[in-house]
Amino acid sequence: MDYKEIEARVKKVIVEVLGVDEEKITTDSRFVEDLGAESVQSLELVAAFEDEFDIEMEEDVALQVKTVGKAVEFIKKHLEQK
Amino acid sequence: MKILIYEDEKWRDLLPLTFIKCVFEIRCGYDLLIDKIVAALPEGEKGLWVRDYIKGLTAKRHNMPVNDTSFFDEDILIVNGRWLPSPADRITLSEEKVVMCKGDIVYGLIKKERVQKFWNGDITKFLSAVKEHIPSKEKPLRVISYPWDLIIYNPFVLKEDFKRYGKNGIKGEFHPAAAIVGDAKDVYIEEGAKVHPFVVLDTTHGPVYIDKDAEVFPSARIEGPCYIGKETQIMPGANIREGNSFGDVCRIGGEVEESIFYSYSNKYHDGFIGHSYIGEFVNLGALTTNSDLKNDYSSVCIYLNGVPTDTGSLKVGSFIGDHTKTSIGTLFNTGTIAGMMCNITAGGILPKYFPSFTWYVNNKFMKGYGLDMMINTAKIVMKRRKRELTAEEEEVMRYAYNMTEEERKEAIRKSRKTSK
Repeated sequence: MDYKEIEARVKKVIVEVLGVDEEKITTDSRFVEDLGAESVQSLELVAAFEDEFDIEMEEDVALQVKTVGKAVEFIKKHLEQK
Repeated sequence: MKILIYEDEKWRDLLPLTFIKCVFEIRCGYDLLIDKIVAALPEGEKGLWVRDYIKGLTAKRHNMPVNDTSFFDEDILIVNGRWLPSPADRITLSEEKVVMCKGDIVYGLIKKERVQKFWNGDITKFLSAVKEHIPSKEKPLRVISYPWDLIIYNPFVLKEDFKRYGKNGIKGEFHPAAAIVGDAKDVYIEEGAKVHPFVVLDTTHGPVYIDKDAEVFPSARIEGPCYIGKETQIMPGANIREGNSFGDVCRIGGEVEESIFYSYSNKYHDGFIGHSYIGEFVNLGALTTNSDLKNDYSSVCIYLNGVPTDTGSLKVGSFIGDHTKTSIGTLFNTGTIAGMMCNITAGGILPKYFPSFTWYVNNKFMKGYGLDMMINTAKIVMKRRKRELTAEEEEVMRYAYNMTEEERKEAIRKSRKTSK
């Protein structure tokens, strides 16, 4: 899966979980400060990414990822290791 | 003769109370099973035998040899760590014999020759050989088989322990505007304890023992039998119904009935807890309440290790593992098991079984922030009560985390599937 496809699917998940408009999401968007993710929603995002990409992430490491772009890279790395 | 208090395989049936505690470290009445067991033993060198992953922690907690194989070099008195002796029980065996209760060895004396024949390093096989080959007799003793047994026995044990401790009277402060209803001889207030104005101690159905430096704030009502541990605080207006055991350094408010709080646990605010066992360092958010009676008055079923099990009892509350926390307004279903280190938030009808270390948020099981952060939280919580998380405790927590991984994953997987 290439970067663009992962990015599109990451954005789709963010729209579903956080209820934000897709056009407001950029790779620089920060989950908490820009997209308004509360602590519980961060947990839901991790769960939703795991489901979307059929991967398993270490929760404490995953929660260190602060921006959409970093999340795409993080997931890409997981997919490559599969 | 050496004396060995042991855990058998049935420690699993006492989960979640026994993830990071031995079976004989369970609380009932004024103290732990081991305190009552030791009082029933004859003279002799005493040792403990526990499951492997908890032996380091056990050695740190008890001043006795743990899993010392030299105990099997001579005559040995074996004593089941799940035994709940009454004050009258004394072991006086002089010949080789095993005392049984409903299929469990309670205690037995085994002579050196047979010990050496049976012992091959495996306690389960050793106990099987003892059961098979040593003459036995059945006795109607109390053995804790399931968590709810503790709740059934606790009111009786509280009365026994008041006699066993043999104290009454007021050594601490009892405000002149506080009152005793019933026989004042059934009250003991230890030195340093404080009972504030308008507190009512009702001994009509049993004694009330308030231990050292405990404090009962104004307008609380405490019905006996009840034990309030050292430095425990009963909050203003609390309604403490009969049959409660509170360990040390707890904070208890609201309504509590026939329940056991281990130690260092908080139920600071209003809300009802009944027929429940609350582990150590548990925090119940305001208005946390459990049901202990089904609306159809049928016996309560519990998920024991994930398997539905009929308790045969009409009144069964919740069993909550160490370090678990609930949010404000959490409503537990009748007969709920919550594992250790869970983080449970309110929402609709909650599941009856929470695997250890799960987070339950927005009606879904989640992995939460991960074990390292949970352990970090435990350290903060313990420090607030002047306790340090030892390396041994942390090691056992990590072991329990790995041990429960599969059921945790399964709960999360099912939860995600059903929420789609």
